[in-house]
Amino acid sequence: MSSVTIQNVTKSFGNTVVLENFDAVFQNGEFVTLLGPSGCGKTTMLRIIAGFEKPTSGCVKFDERVVSSDKVFIPPEKRDIGMVFQSYAVWPHMTVFDNVAYPLRIKKMDKDAIQKKVDRVLAMVHLTQYAQRIPSQLSGGQQQRVALARALVAEPALLLLDEPLSNLDAKLRESMRFEIKEIQREYGITVLYVTHDQTEAMAMSDRIVVINRGVIQQIGVPREIYSHPANPFVADFVGKIEFLDGEVKAGCIELDGCGQRLPYEGDKKGRVIVGVRPEHVKYAPVGQGTLSGTIKSHFYLGDVNDCRVDLGGGKELRVIADPYDSMDVEAGKQVSLTVREFLVYDEQGPGNDFRKILT
Amino acid sequence: MAQQTAPMKSALPQRRFYFDVKWLIILAIVAFLLVFQVFPLVYMLYKAFFPESVFSLSTFTRLYTYEMNWGALCNTLVAAAATMVLGTVLAFPLAWLVGRTNMYGKKFFRSLFVLTYMVPPYLGAMAWTRLLNQNAGTINVFLRGLLNIDARTGPLNIYTIAGMIWVLTTFYYPYAFITISRAMEKMDPSLEEAARISGASPLKTVATITLPMMTPSLIAGALLVFVCAASCYGIPSIVGAPGKVHTVTTRIVEYMGLGQAGINDATGLAVFLMIMAIIILYISDVVVARKQYITVSGKSTRPNIVDLGRWRGLTTALVSLFSIIVIVIPFITIATTSVKKNLGKGLFEANNFTTMHWTKIFGRDDIIESLINSITFAAAAATIGIIISFTMAYLLQRTRVRGRKIPDFLITLGSGTPSVVIALGLIMTMNGKFGINLYNTAAIMIIAYLIKYLMMGMRTVVSAMSQIHVSLEESSQASGAGWLRTMFKVTVPLIFPSIAAGWFLIFIPCFYELSMSTLLYSRDTQVIGYMLHYYWTYTSQQQASAMAFGILLVVVALNFILNKLTKGEFSI
Repeated sequence: MSSVTIQNVTKSFGNTVVLENFDAVFQNGEFVTLLGPSGCGKTTMLRIIAGFEKPTSGCVKFDERVVSSDKVFIPPEKRDIGMVFQSYAVWPHMTVFDNVAYPLRIKKMDKDAIQKKVDRVLAMVHLTQYAQRIPSQLSGGQQQRVALARALVAEPALLLLDEPLSNLDAKLRESMRFEIKEIQREYGITVLYVTHDQTEAMAMSDRIVVINRGVIQQIGVPREIYSHPANPFVADFVGKIEFLDGEVKAGCIELDGCGQRLPYEGDKKGRVIVGVRPEHVKYAPVGQGTLSGTIKSHFYLGDVNDCRVDLGGGKELRVIADPYDSMDVEAGKQVSLTVREFLVYDEQGPGNDFRKILT
Repeated sequence: MAQQTAPMKSALPQRRFYFDVKWLIILAIVAFLLVFQVFPLVYMLYKAFFPESVFSLSTFTRLYTYEMNWGALCNTLVAAAATMVLGTVLAFPLAWLVGRTNMYGKKFFRSLFVLTYMVPPYLGAMAWTRLLNQNAGTINVFLRGLLNIDARTGPLNIYTIAGMIWVLTTFYYPYAFITISRAMEKMDPSLEEAARISGASPLKTVATITLPMMTPSLIAGALLVFVCAASCYGIPSIVGAPGKVHTVTTRIVEYMGLGQAGINDATGLAVFLMIMAIIILYISDVVVARKQYITVSGKSTRPNIVDLGRWRGLTTALVSLFSIIVIVIPFITIATTSVKKNLGKGLFEANNFTTMHWTKIFGRDDIIESLINSITFAAAAATIGIIISFTMAYLLQRTRVRGRKIPDFLITLGSGTPSVVIALGLIMTMNGKFGINLYNTAAIMIIAYLIKYLMMGMRTVVSAMSQIHVSLEESSQASGAGWLRTMFKVTVPLIFPSIAAGWFLIFIPCFYELSMSTLLYSRDTQVIGYMLHYYWTYTSQQQASAMAFGILLVVVALNFILNKLTKGEFSI
């Protein structure tokens, strides 16, 4: 087993549908992240793959073996998966060594082999000197490593990680990201990673599956997700973006309210939504930009100057400017803006609620 | 650049010693407990070892060389130990099935088992003597027919130590069930899921993860069952005494029946119960609680459902059968006994149905009076108790006042003290000998109830208070509300369900109390529990059953009211 195929999986609890027609294939050795706001169904998907939940309909396959479907259900203990839980789930009544050795003892391996394997995996997560400690004597980060070691020790072909870093502090989180990635490379296993943190997803994944309200929004490599988001939700969830309504006219899009125009040669017609990432907007010498406006407010954040520019008619655009920009940034100043890149989507219709992210 | 900093002058004069009103409250509670709880117990100990003001073990040598007492002592220990083992062995699988599997009707069974906790134990004793008495016991008659036994008695006999253990078990296993269930609810289900994903089967997971992690709670629950069974009076007096199976509690009550002459011997026996209870309380609270694993996780509250698969129907059937035997049949027996003309005949035999006993009990002044007394005393105890509970909750959760743990400790100690011991201590000291004479008053009964049952209310309110983050109160004060207004507009409304639950938790056991009331009642302060026991023993078992069933209905009704009052958050 090494590739995971999810076919048309739907899951509902009572009347609430948490996953709808989920279709995806995760390749051998791939690092795939399920990304989405909390409550979007990503953890449920992971738990279905682990065998803690049964899909209401649809089927899950490991390579060619069906593990969950209408007729077949393989319980979690027979799936040969490693899993790390958000709460670590390190057993408090066992030492670190016993925690990590548990999966091997279940397999009735002989003592020497267990000792060898546990030593190796503990060395890998830098816990060798803590083998005889009990978990309450360890820090959160160390407990997380114990959980990781326990998930890896039986050398599963698939590793599931359920928001494993969300309980750690920012610095530790970054170093753990790197370590998890290293370990994945070393073992060459398929990793399925669940998170709501887009930076984490961008940094670690080969591919990202963006989910909202139980529906896959987009599957793609990080670069694609960021620069070609399939819809306004993805654009909004991954990275920063401002949306402006407008209408396509000959060779341009006329923005509502302010009446300003952005040059456009694409094939969309009629009412559209324009998405502008703040880092794609730059200040230009007066009169040379495509848009103009007045600086409404700005926040100096050290590495950048985070500004809001009033385009007129109540429309605003966010600009993340270089603080060493030759221009002085101050409220009330008239400015000209160049938009290097922007995204255009069809208007979403009356039920337009993509900006409401479930939290 | 030098900066000048002038020393800040404080506008208020510094007070080294100031009077804190909180100390006064603590002092009042502690004083109450010292006078009515600690002093009587200490005095009893003193009397046991210094019967004539000189140290002597004569009380004990006299007592325990008397075979009947020695037998009572052994019976108590054997029955309590057996009940503990049986109760825990029953409680753990039930708690696991209810808390961790997809058995049908989990919620229903959970409420059902917890409800038994609120039923007076003597009710079970009465029912089982009707079912299993040697001659006419319903089950015995049925078994004789089934097995073709040609005898007038047997095959089972309730008036034995085994019978007593059986009834004790059916009424005290819920104590272990509740303790274990609560611990299981607090255990992070990811711990078990982690075992499953590591390759362990559901049973292996129970054996290697669930059970070891539950061990401290299992021991705590078992010890609780032991203490309760050992200090129970109702069941041994109804089931044990007729068959000459005496226990320490029944002996104490018998000695007390002798009046002044028996009081020394009663004291000697009570001291044994008291010391045993204190030792066990210590083990349970200090030794076991310290080993408790705290694994409450922030998020994952979904119970890890173990799929019972093809066992699902069978386990549900077994648990239903258990419930029918332990709960339904006894309750029905009490109900049918209360409407039978002739006890020996079946309910459906000709002319054996009557509502006579019900009309009688509602027509008798002494019963109505005792019912009113019970309600009044219980309501008084519950109201005073909940005020103390709220005060204690505030002191424990919101202040760092020194000494706030002392009343908490004393209240816990009081609830662990066997009922008969509390009553005996009060009788010996509150008779005017030391300036307070409460003998034969309602006050002495209310005080006894408070000492025994205050903790139930206090724990409920304290845990509710600990769930309310202090910032909720602070933000009210920051909005300009004073302390009192904050309490009444923010804190009390937020924990109201627990306050209501706490009140009922004190009220219900006080309402049907038997052991303490038996020793403390006077002509004017008879209560329903005592009355029922008296009628059962001396007058009419049918009328006693009618009263018992009435009590049961009241308990169920109160439970229903509580559920509505707290919008389903609490039912006992």
